[in-house]
Amino acid sequence: MKRKCQDYESRLPDNTAMKQQQLPAFRLQLSANEILSGFFAIGLFCLGMGIILLLSAKSIREVEINYTAKCATCAKLREDATNFDKECNCSISFYLPQKMEGNVYLYYKLYGFYQNLYRYILSRSNIQLVGTDVKDVRNCAPFKTSDNGLPIAPCGAIANSMFNDTIVLLYNFNSSTHIRVPMVRTETAWWTDKYVKFQNPTFQNLSSAFAGTAKPPNWPKPVYELDEKDPGNNGFVNDDFIVWMRTAAFPNFKKLYRRLHRIGNFTEGLPAGSYSFIINYNFPVGRFQGQKAVVLSTLTWSGGSSLFLALAYLVTGAVTLLASFSMMAVHLKLKERKTFFLQ
Amino acid sequence: MWRWVRQQLGFDPPHQSDTRTIYIANRFPQYGHYTPQKFIDNRIISSKYTVWNFVPKNLFEQFRRVANFYFLIIFLVQLMIDTPTSPVTSGLPLFFVITVTAIKQGYEDWLRHISDNEVNGAPVYVVRSGGLVTTRSKNIRVGDIVRVAKNEIFPADLVLLSSDRLDGSCHVTTASLDGETNLKTHVAVPETAVLQTVANLDTLIAVVECQQPEADLYRFMGRMTITQQMEEIVRPLGPESLLLRGARLKNTKEIFGVAVYTGMETKMALNYKSKSQKRSAVEKSMNTFLIIYLIILISEAIISTILKYTWQAEEKWDEPWYNQKTEHQRNSSKILKFISDFLAFLVLYNFIIPISLYVTVELQKFLGSFFIGWDLDLYHEESDEKAQVNTSDLNEELGQVEYVFTDKTGTLTENEMQFRECSINGTKYQEINGRLVSEGPTPDSSDGNLSYLTSLAHLNNLSHLATSSSFRTSPENGTELIKEHDLFFKAVSLCHTVQISSVQTDSIGDGPWQSSFAPAQLEYYASSPDEKALVEAAARYKLLHILEFDPDRRRMSVIVQAPSGEKLLFVKGAESSILPECIGGEIEKTRIHVDEFALKGLRTLCMAYRQFTSKEYEEINRRLFEARTALQQREEKLAGVFQFIEKDLILLGATAVEDKLQDKVRETIEALRMAGIKVWVLTGDKHETAVSVSLSCGHFHRTMNILELLNQKSDSECAEKLGQLARRIREDHVIQHGLVVDGTSLSLALREHEKLFMDVCRNCSAVMCCRMAPLQKAKVIRLIKISPEKPITLAIGDGANDVSMIQEAHVGIGIMGKEGRQAARNSDYAIARFKFLSKLLFVHGHFYYIRIATLVQYFFYKNVCFITPQFLYQFYCLFSQQTLYDSVYLTLYNICFTSLPILIYSLLEQHIDPHVLQNKPTLYRDISKNRQLSMKTFLYWTILGFSHAFIFFFGSYFLIGKDTSLLGNGQMFGNWTFGTLVFTVMVITVTAKMALETHFWTWINHLVTWGSILFYFVFSLFYGGILWPFLSSQNMYFVFIQLLSSGSAWFAIILMVVTCLFLDIVKKVFDRQFHPTNIEKAQLTETNSSIKCLDSMCCFSEGETACASVGRMLERVIGRCSPSHVSRSWSASDPFYTNDRSILTLSTMDSSTC
Repeated sequence: MKRKCQDYESRLPDNTAMKQQQLPAFRLQLSANEILSGFFAIGLFCLGMGIILLLSAKSIREVEINYTAKCATCAKLREDATNFDKECNCSISFYLPQKMEGNVYLYYKLYGFYQNLYRYILSRSNIQLVGTDVKDVRNCAPFKTSDNGLPIAPCGAIANSMFNDTIVLLYNFNSSTHIRVPMVRTETAWWTDKYVKFQNPTFQNLSSAFAGTAKPPNWPKPVYELDEKDPGNNGFVNDDFIVWMRTAAFPNFKKLYRRLHRIGNFTEGLPAGSYSFIINYNFPVGRFQGQKAVVLSTLTWSGGSSLFLALAYLVTGAVTLLASFSMMAVHLKLKERKTFFLQ
Repeated sequence: MWRWVRQQLGFDPPHQSDTRTIYIANRFPQYGHYTPQKFIDNRIISSKYTVWNFVPKNLFEQFRRVANFYFLIIFLVQLMIDTPTSPVTSGLPLFFVITVTAIKQGYEDWLRHISDNEVNGAPVYVVRSGGLVTTRSKNIRVGDIVRVAKNEIFPADLVLLSSDRLDGSCHVTTASLDGETNLKTHVAVPETAVLQTVANLDTLIAVVECQQPEADLYRFMGRMTITQQMEEIVRPLGPESLLLRGARLKNTKEIFGVAVYTGMETKMALNYKSKSQKRSAVEKSMNTFLIIYLIILISEAIISTILKYTWQAEEKWDEPWYNQKTEHQRNSSKILKFISDFLAFLVLYNFIIPISLYVTVELQKFLGSFFIGWDLDLYHEESDEKAQVNTSDLNEELGQVEYVFTDKTGTLTENEMQFRECSINGTKYQEINGRLVSEGPTPDSSDGNLSYLTSLAHLNNLSHLATSSSFRTSPENGTELIKEHDLFFKAVSLCHTVQISSVQTDSIGDGPWQSSFAPAQLEYYASSPDEKALVEAAARYKLLHILEFDPDRRRMSVIVQAPSGEKLLFVKGAESSILPECIGGEIEKTRIHVDEFALKGLRTLCMAYRQFTSKEYEEINRRLFEARTALQQREEKLAGVFQFIEKDLILLGATAVEDKLQDKVRETIEALRMAGIKVWVLTGDKHETAVSVSLSCGHFHRTMNILELLNQKSDSECAEKLGQLARRIREDHVIQHGLVVDGTSLSLALREHEKLFMDVCRNCSAVMCCRMAPLQKAKVIRLIKISPEKPITLAIGDGANDVSMIQEAHVGIGIMGKEGRQAARNSDYAIARFKFLSKLLFVHGHFYYIRIATLVQYFFYKNVCFITPQFLYQFYCLFSQQTLYDSVYLTLYNICFTSLPILIYSLLEQHIDPHVLQNKPTLYRDISKNRQLSMKTFLYWTILGFSHAFIFFFGSYFLIGKDTSLLGNGQMFGNWTFGTLVFTVMVITVTAKMALETHFWTWINHLVTWGSILFYFVFSLFYGGILWPFLSSQNMYFVFIQLLSSGSAWFAIILMVVTCLFLDIVKKVFDRQFHPTNIEKAQLTETNSSIKCLDSMCCFSEGETACASVGRMLERVIGRCSPSHVSRSWSASDPFYTNDRSILTLSTMDSSTC
């Protein structure tokens, strides 16, 4: 059948691939071989990944010490908010049977603390924290202003509830010699948080920059006295503060507190032996029946001990292989009739 | 101004009186009591909106849609109460959807405005203050005298005053109104017909009284009172003096008429009705699903609210020291808080109702419908017609048809009449090679050779019978015989309404017959194709009266005066309407012959005549005049007079013309049956004719047991017969049954025994209804529609008489045939030939159905995936309404990240080769009864959505929630990273799921699928890479980049995507192995018909040059596509093989590696 295609008078539709729905196309049509080999490949890949992850998870050393019960006296003291100015220290010793090699990270961990409540997450002022306007407290309810009407800096519920226990790790070289394990505070917060998202207002003097603002009600001292020794760690750019301000997704969470400074005895990591934590107990958890813990952990290149990921890979791999075997059985049984498997 | 406001608001007062009085040229009486009637102006408004009311009216229209209204409510709730998500998240998509729809509707309305303005601004000539003034069409007022020239369209409904002819007649064609292409003669009253100049018209003092506007095109009653020399002359006005707006003046140089109906009150405007909204089955199930999801949404919100309060009963959770309430929150009332909490949850989960579903569906339908018009296979070369889509709302309904109701003439047949046989005075003659030959020995006639009638051959070819020579009698024949034949052919040639229009000359002479010697320049207009075929142009007869055809009488007649002076009545019509009135002639023999003709599938007409004495004629003339000028009940009176005239006839004979079957009708009907579609033929023909056509077109088989329900006279008889038929069907259900019903029996059966009748019908594989009136056709369809199974019906027809059934059926298809355009215009789809139905249903219908069904299911699926993690997260944040995702992600998920793959899928998907679909009509059964949208599949998709959501959420929860550090440097992630992880897995999974559903991978599919994922990553990097100065929350700053810098996160993403799809793939594989559907089996058989995966990305078609260059670059970069692909592309000069896939699978392409 010969058709005139250039006849503009006629209503003959254009003979293009698009209009005739004949675009060159690949028809997804998977044969049994393709499907089965794909499944076997995925199954094997998952198993392999699972084993690798399992091994790397196994290589991680982790110590967690829950000190809620162990510091019962301090905890009781903190139940009563009027005792805020009373110091309370608590020492917990433990024994490390195996040395922790490589970088060791010190975390604090809270149980039952909901940092993901809607009003709580909202209650912060990014404009204030980036140093543009110290007096911007718009979203900070219910911690906007102090009783005498001054805007709070840093305002909001998150900042107000900042974790303020101090944790010191001692290495008990022998029964009488206690060496303080060297820890560094740097690189505990995201780089971008520390250097972009959180900035002090620009003034020659930090305390004058915060003039006309009040400290958060729960804080013992104003923000410009967080670390008076290190100006790079004072005010809003305090590492502990920044870490706290990144709200956790779930009620049980841990936050990075310090890193091991690998010098002297600790070049290789933490040697085996007995240690003790000296904790300056300030943060009250009893009122919401929460718990506090300290965690010491080593890491691999992909992060902490993710046993779950390893197991998930193993299970998926196993199930995939199982499915592929059963599919192969079905396929062999019905081979005479069917050539294609999927689509 | 006030009037305008009233009009806009529709407050126009109802007309007080039953008639309107029009003073011609607005010359009101100078004295006497009179109240001027108010008439509207001549503006035609087909547009819906004006500049002023567009915004409010369009918004109102749009918010009448449930989904839009729902989102408006959500938006308002967000504005009013303190909610977790910003109003932007639902406001922006809503704004987007509303804007897109408004732009589309505004554009359509703008086009209507343009055409309105063109019509309203057209120049017209109006007689005013003694001169001819040119003005705009919209300025015509009732009472104005309007001049219309040849080939112009009448700007309003006019009463004809005068034309350039002395008798005041003119010819018009009403093709654009009712699709009839014949010329209609309209006449002016004699008193005004002489006023042929403007000056003369200026002296006219007359009043027209007529009925108020009504929609019926063929009814007009009025009278004109003309004051001449202080004397009032009253003349009746009928439809023949009314020139309708939209009709076109033909063969007449100019006319003058007075406007009686203007603007929206013209019959054309009253007949313009916005097409009734047909809703497809898919849309109905879509609404059901929406309601189900609404219930899910509300129950989720209620559960959350209740749990929130159970939780908060404990004080430590209600107000821990670190999250104290504000004064305001403490003081607000409990009930108010409860309600606002419920609303907040509603807002939080509201995305489960997919807002963009409607807009995507609309876009898909609108764009997708182009493919039908573009299809070369639906293009008919001879008539140069392509398929036409009048509504895009019903595309998918084409894949759901269970009953096809088809007209016969013009739909199954060509509607090209060919003269075959005739019976004259009891003798049968056959047309053989242009000669009429007596058929077999005819004992009645002494000499049976009638070959002198040769020139009657090919009656449809008018030039052959243009002369009166056909009546030249041979001398050797007996005069008695000749007389009968002579009369027969006189009847054939005189009794018609055929008009011949000469293109060359403006004047038509004093009759149609004289100019017929120049056949090449003639145009023929006839009100029925039979007549056109039988026209004979030779007469020296004076036409006295025409008794027009009407469907009740089923006959027409003319009264002529022979040259000898005797007055004769010639009648022709259906045999059932002629034979009972006959008192002379060979009635019995003719009846037998007519039945024989009908058995051969020929269309028959009977001829009869009657001679009047002059006294009889006098009376007839008087009664006719009285009836024609009656103001009241004119139609009834006319019918009475006709009845009086058309009796005591003498039968002359019968003619038989053949209507050829269209190409491939048998194959198409066979294919429809194989597809499980029941085909009913509804026709106005005699039952014998209809049955024989049915047999020849494969509708009835020889092996079928044909049941008949004919000529039922009474209810009880009909019931009894129906009972019998039902019994017979029950007794032998092995063989197929066909049912023949005629119109009268049908109306009896439908009146009292609907249920029984439907029972019988449902058990018959073929049903034929003959002798059907147009409204009966529609009624049959309505009956089937409302029967318990609620089947989807399709009606296909070509004539104005099929319009009612086309509009009644779920899908109406018009054939663009010879009987005008009315069916095509009122249909949902119009095609040129019946055979195209198979491609329209089996290929286009099937594709559209699969596409839209998947579209709907997928939309619900992806929104379940989207919102369920949000719901689950509430269990971990004390139901504090904290969102899992950032507001921007919430907003863009449906409109950016996941919208394009599904849209492109729903436009391009071909789950199976169109050829296979066309050749295997049984595949159509696989999608019947809305199977893809059944509760089972819906449940499957929903459960799939929930399970995927659980995998995303808990997978991420066990990864992050178990407080492991995922970064190599020991730093921790926060809640926003967790949400982003879930969201990333979700976007990838949901897109991959779409990829899994796609069978047909063109380069566009590749582009949008991988492009969507890529876009998500690029967008997230960009969005998270900057501290946006105008956003108060900087939640997402560097969150995505941090997430991607974690190895564990990558492993988790891969694992979760694999796990999600794994379940689905395994299910698909086992389904396919154990319960393969026919479609899946058919997919196996098409081998070697596809091209390699990468090729589909590389090989671009010629139309997409911009992309092609990118593609070629890509090819060079990848270096995989061999040069042969580049050279091979589609071009217009390619030899055209209809849908032949072989060109797509050149061997070089197959051998290339991917």
